[in-house]
Amino acid sequence: MKQYAYYPGCSLESLGKNYRISALAVSGELGVELKELEDWNCCGATAYFPVDELLAYTLVSRNLAIAEKTGLQDFVAPCSACYKNAYTTNKYLKSDPDLAEHINYALEEDNLQVEGKMKVRHLIEVFIEDVGFEEIKKKVAYPLKGLRVAPYYGCQIVRPRKDKEDVENPQFFEKLLSAIGAEPIEYASKARCCGGSLIITNRKAALDMVHKLLQDAVNSNANVIATTCPMCNVNLEVYQGQVNQEFGTDFSIPVMYFTQLMGMALGIEPKRIGVGASMLSLAQSIEK
Amino acid sequence: MTEKIGVYVCHCGSNIAGVVDVAEVARWAGQLPGVVVARDYKFMCSSPGQELIQKDIQEMGLTRVVVASCSPHLHEKTFRGACARAGLNPYLFEMANIREQDSWVTSDKTEATKKAKALVAAAVSRVAHQEALEALLVPIDPNVLVVGGGITGIQAALEIADAGDHVYLVEREPSIGGHMAQFDKTFPTLDCSACILTPKMVSAGNHKNITLLTWSEVENVSGYVGNFTVTIRKKARYVDEAICTGCGVCQEKCPKKVVDDVFEVGMARRKAIYTPFPQAVPNYPVIDRPNCTFFLKGTCKACEKFCPTGAIKFDQQDEILTVKVGNIILATGYDLFDARRIPQYGYGKLANVFTSLEFERMSNAAGPTGGRIFLRDGVTVPKSVGIVHCVGSRDQNYNAYCSAICCMQSLKFAHLVREKTGAEVYEFYIDIRTPGKGYEEFYQRLLEEGTHFVRGKVAEVTNVARVPEEEDRLIIQVEDTLIGKQRRIPVDMVILSAGLQARKDSKEVAKLFGIACSADQWFIEKHPKLDPVATMTDGVLVAGACQGPKDIPASVAQGSAAAARVLSIIGQEEIEIEAATAIVDEETCVGCQQCIASCPYQAIVYLEDKGKAYVNEALCKGCGTCVGTCLPKCISLKHFTDEQLVSEMIGAMWAMNQFETEALEVA
Amino acid sequence: MAAELSFSKEIENIMYASHGKPIKDCIQCGTCSGSCPAVEFMDNSPREVIGMIGANLKEEVLATNTYWTCASCYQCSVRCPAGIDIADMMYALKRYSMWKGQYKEGLIGPDFSEAFVKMIVNSGRSFEPILAATYLPKYSARDIIREGLMATGLVLSGKMPLLPKKVKRLKNVQRMVRRIIPIGETK
Repeated sequence: MKQYAYYPGCSLESLGKNYRISALAVSGELGVELKELEDWNCCGATAYFPVDELLAYTLVSRNLAIAEKTGLQDFVAPCSACYKNAYTTNKYLKSDPDLAEHINYALEEDNLQVEGKMKVRHLIEVFIEDVGFEEIKKKVAYPLKGLRVAPYYGCQIVRPRKDKEDVENPQFFEKLLSAIGAEPIEYASKARCCGGSLIITNRKAALDMVHKLLQDAVNSNANVIATTCPMCNVNLEVYQGQVNQEFGTDFSIPVMYFTQLMGMALGIEPKRIGVGASMLSLAQSIEK
Repeated sequence: MTEKIGVYVCHCGSNIAGVVDVAEVARWAGQLPGVVVARDYKFMCSSPGQELIQKDIQEMGLTRVVVASCSPHLHEKTFRGACARAGLNPYLFEMANIREQDSWVTSDKTEATKKAKALVAAAVSRVAHQEALEALLVPIDPNVLVVGGGITGIQAALEIADAGDHVYLVEREPSIGGHMAQFDKTFPTLDCSACILTPKMVSAGNHKNITLLTWSEVENVSGYVGNFTVTIRKKARYVDEAICTGCGVCQEKCPKKVVDDVFEVGMARRKAIYTPFPQAVPNYPVIDRPNCTFFLKGTCKACEKFCPTGAIKFDQQDEILTVKVGNIILATGYDLFDARRIPQYGYGKLANVFTSLEFERMSNAAGPTGGRIFLRDGVTVPKSVGIVHCVGSRDQNYNAYCSAICCMQSLKFAHLVREKTGAEVYEFYIDIRTPGKGYEEFYQRLLEEGTHFVRGKVAEVTNVARVPEEEDRLIIQVEDTLIGKQRRIPVDMVILSAGLQARKDSKEVAKLFGIACSADQWFIEKHPKLDPVATMTDGVLVAGACQGPKDIPASVAQGSAAAARVLSIIGQEEIEIEAATAIVDEETCVGCQQCIASCPYQAIVYLEDKGKAYVNEALCKGCGTCVGTCLPKCISLKHFTDEQLVSEMIGAMWAMNQFETEALEVA
Repeated sequence: MAAELSFSKEIENIMYASHGKPIKDCIQCGTCSGSCPAVEFMDNSPREVIGMIGANLKEEVLATNTYWTCASCYQCSVRCPAGIDIADMMYALKRYSMWKGQYKEGLIGPDFSEAFVKMIVNSGRSFEPILAATYLPKYSARDIIREGLMATGLVLSGKMPLLPKKVKRLKNVQRMVRRIIPIGETK
């Protein structure tokens, strides 16, 4: 089993509970050992940068430094916002010695130093690149036949990629869904922002963005929306009610983490992947 | 024998004098061994400047001259000429570059002056060891090779042929004509493109001084200006040009259809035996071997059966021709930017998004829709069309440059759409660039025609409707910057004015002909302002879009300009070849042939009878590789002998040592 | 003698780590605003804001809600033909605005960010209920009730812990923070 330095992020502890448990369950099945970093701190998502840039990079770097200390090669984050922050910070540490010097000066207080030598990965990347589609296909016990899934990439996961085609029209999530037997649907908004960072600070704007996304997914006949980030998941799922109120729509589409769908396909018990009441509505969708 | 060296330090206005203390350098140079006169002057390259040198040579009997000024690239020829006119062999002259290598790279006056002195000392030391050399005169072969049969190549070929010299016009497609043959109308006159092009094509095809080699490619080039040897592969057409009458029966009878993705840009099909378009020159068809039923399966041969003159020859082979020419003009044109690289514009995904060339074909009366504008279904006439500017141009993510023709082309499209369909036309632009003659008036005309101009670079083209009016339409999402609002404009059809790019094999082609490409892959000209058609390689010229995006008037002008330059070289009948070539000392040469193996220009041959190497001076470019390779040190480079180079180094080091000693003394 | 910096220079200086091209490279093409998913909720489009910065209209820029409405989705930065990292610039404007304490009235963003950072300095981990104090006061009664119901639902489904977690080496983290900016206690 290959070991990975695992950075769960604050959301997985709270709102993203289902992501946490399903991620661990699926990783276990696929031979991916996630070793949680000791004493990690919040990555800040979008909240540090409005206050102080250097502080933001330093707080992210602390986690990278803790990871470097473990001697493991890969830094894995399941949350897209954490992933993007870590990836960008890591890149800057390598290319900007001035920045790295400032950060390391501060990190001394916690007896840490950072080089920028981790390979920062998103959890979905680890499954796709390290485990591979073939391996996943082999382990699928219950292919999700007939389940029309709208792969929701969200905006952050495609940001560090410099390959332009990937940014506007990534395909890796669809491929993963096909590998577990589901039917990924094509819809234009798959990498559009859900408004996650605005849900508190500008509710109206965020709900508008969620509304547009849900509309597109529903119009494309999706049974379920699959996400790769707890912020996106919460936005699309928990706030469906408020969107309905604001816009007079009647959305009730289940929103699940890709790890939950993978878990279902791999035959893991529902309890271990946080699929409870949602399972019911899902089963109903499949029957349609 | 003691030399009499004259040193001239140029101010170059304030370019050098602003940083280097030129008067001091001249004074200091005056005391160097062998220097009998040292002057400084504002502009050495000017007439009075050159006259200074000439006067001193004549009156003082100077035997060597050193000019400390700019790069030899610019004025070595100028000063060598001045020396020659005064009766001094031009190779007894040396330049010290105290501008590009000194005053332009530092603002420290003390250091700059020191370096200038050292450079002058180096040059003075070297020039004393230089020898008088005679430049080689080579005859110019009056034949010319023009590569590329688009409007530029045709223009150049006609100009040269009309002047009485013979041209090989090589074109890789089955017919000449290039991109211009694909267009419908040309801006700003709205002349029918084929109507103004075909007369020139026919002239070129019939001209007694033009040998048309279509369906051909250049495979090898060797030689030097006035004396190139070029190998051309004339690909097999499987049609005997001597017998074919161009009647077209073979094309009618051929049962195999394939998508024409070259001329028709994928919008129509052609047969496996085909001429690309009806006015093709020459009018002989070509068999597309990879798609021909006979070549694939051994059956059919319908063309052969029906050909009234028996011109189909399935056993025809590629022909390799070797020709000798004195000059080469590259007029290979451009490729269109691949709009699939911008996924948010939907090309390739959303059916009714078209590229500029696709639209040209559709609008062309001889095109796939007979000149009528339809959506991809071939039936529906659009009621509203959006034309997007700057697709892949002016964009750090793709091509940073402006493609020069797209604004005018987009306006032209707006006019054609309006005229043919009456549809509402929207133009999405960042700037309207209409600098040519009649271009701004054309823009006015389009404004008067009621075209909707929206200033904003299109963010995306989508089919995801948000409101009922957007259902089943293409929506262009853009910020209308002039009113500061994001707009979603539903249209039926989108035309992308994709940018121009260098041909995808331009790097290889450049290498083949011994020239260079810029970072954007366009061929590099000798000087962007003052010499846009010549290259750093004498005898190879570039013209038209292959040198950079440009419209037809500019391309034609460059074609004529290249022709004029070539005719001028031919008119001189003989030109001078740089005398700094390698030479083998026959006495010491052991015949190991290492130099022959190392020469990048194949300029050295082995003389069997003598068992020695021999340098063909005309081919030698003076690179010095052989000199470095030769172990017995019996090959040397004229004007760059070991003695000269070492003395140059000693001159510089001596000067630097002087400065150190002085500094220590002061301290 | 230090010359007074223009507003545009000040903003450039605050974009310390950014790897994009300078803001002055903007050709005002409007791709950013055309791509922005939140532009309808902004007083001025991103392009307009860049233009305003270039014109040194400091007061107007600080008073616009544009940069506090930015979702940080980076769609603008990805597509900008001049290679400018516009989303980064929005962050720079947020920082400037927080530093000067100058921003449009009624916005939740500034209080939220400040509270978030303070929360991290006090515990090292994020904890939603604390942040509620920043925005609930600005909500209508109906909205507050709606939030309360949603929060209850989350607590009951185990998705919201009742007590905040803390980083173990909190004192070190606080000292680390103080080496950058002077906030937080270190007792």
